[in-house]
Amino acid sequence: MNVMASHAPLATATGPYLYWITSRAAGIAGLILASAAVGAGLLMAGGLARERRAEMRVAHEALALATLAALAIHGLTLLGDGYLHPTLLELAVPFAGSYRTLWTSTGIIAFWSLAALGLGYYQRARIGAQRWRSLHRLTAAAWMLGIVHSLTDGTDSGQAWFLVMIVIVVAPPLALLAARHLLPSALARLTGRLAPAGAAPGLAPPNPEMQRAGSR
Amino acid sequence: MTPSSPSPPAGSGPDRQEARALARARAAELRRRGARIRRSVIALALGLFTAAFLVVYVQLASGHDPALVAAAQRRHHLQSRRSTRSPSGGTGEATASPSQSTSTELGSESSSGESGSEPGAGESGGTQEGSGESPSSVTTSQS
Repeated sequence: MNVMASHAPLATATGPYLYWITSRAAGIAGLILASAAVGAGLLMAGGLARERRAEMRVAHEALALATLAALAIHGLTLLGDGYLHPTLLELAVPFAGSYRTLWTSTGIIAFWSLAALGLGYYQRARIGAQRWRSLHRLTAAAWMLGIVHSLTDGTDSGQAWFLVMIVIVVAPPLALLAARHLLPSALARLTGRLAPAGAAPGLAPPNPEMQRAGSR
Repeated sequence: MTPSSPSPPAGSGPDRQEARALARARAAELRRRGARIRRSVIALALGLFTAAFLVVYVQLASGHDPALVAAAQRRHHLQSRRSTRSPSGGTGEATASPSQSTSTELGSESSSGESGSEPGAGESGGTQEGSGESPSSVTTSQS
């Protein structure tokens, strides 16, 4: 290929890159869906959507499952990438691969954490509701790990559109998270109730009516 | 179901049946709403994926993909360095072991991030040194 031609932005044949494009698109979709799921969860936990609690619960669950599906596609499509050629082990086990080991492992850890903390919902009876709630709060940390992964390892992380998108989708849940941890009393006043001593602000028992209705 | 009406015997009567019917209707309404929300989330997820795919695809097809552009720039920089060095080829270092020189340059290219930068980034130009080489193969040729 001509050196100058390779330097200038030219049309590129996209065929060899389809797996790569799919993985990037699924990662972006997963990031947005995860932010929406965390936002919905924080809205419920903060008692800011009490009138629509049943709907929020269904939306939170559906968004979380869609996030996991998108992230699974994000990882698995890389198996077909002609350049990286990762093995399933390198994609599934942190620090097993040689490609940007730290930041790739951050993403792998974030995925497994999100999967365990999210799907643990279906094992609440075994885990114990109170313990599950305590563990489920760590989902926000896993989400933030995912954001770190996208900013450090993401191909598009230097692009203006990507950064604008990150700010738009990450800022609202981050503000809710900050309010929950830094200003719990203000949040309680805002929602019109005081959090019981020793309990996380805004955590209410599950809605039995919705559960009977088969919302799961 | 008025509050003033006398309470019927437990387990029978129209009030109990009415309450059951009301509960069933409410449960059915909740199920319908839940299904609608799930469908909306699925549509949202598919829409987001499609939009992101199109953005990345168009960006790549138009030659503005950040990884490929960076790889092409590095390749151009590398080749221009090589071409400026080769005319003055009388110096012992450049002529003594060209293969060694090439592998060292590849190694520096690798460490500056091309081979480890993006999947697919090395394939764009079609030039020999970058195309399809994994980080490990570059390391091997360097050693």
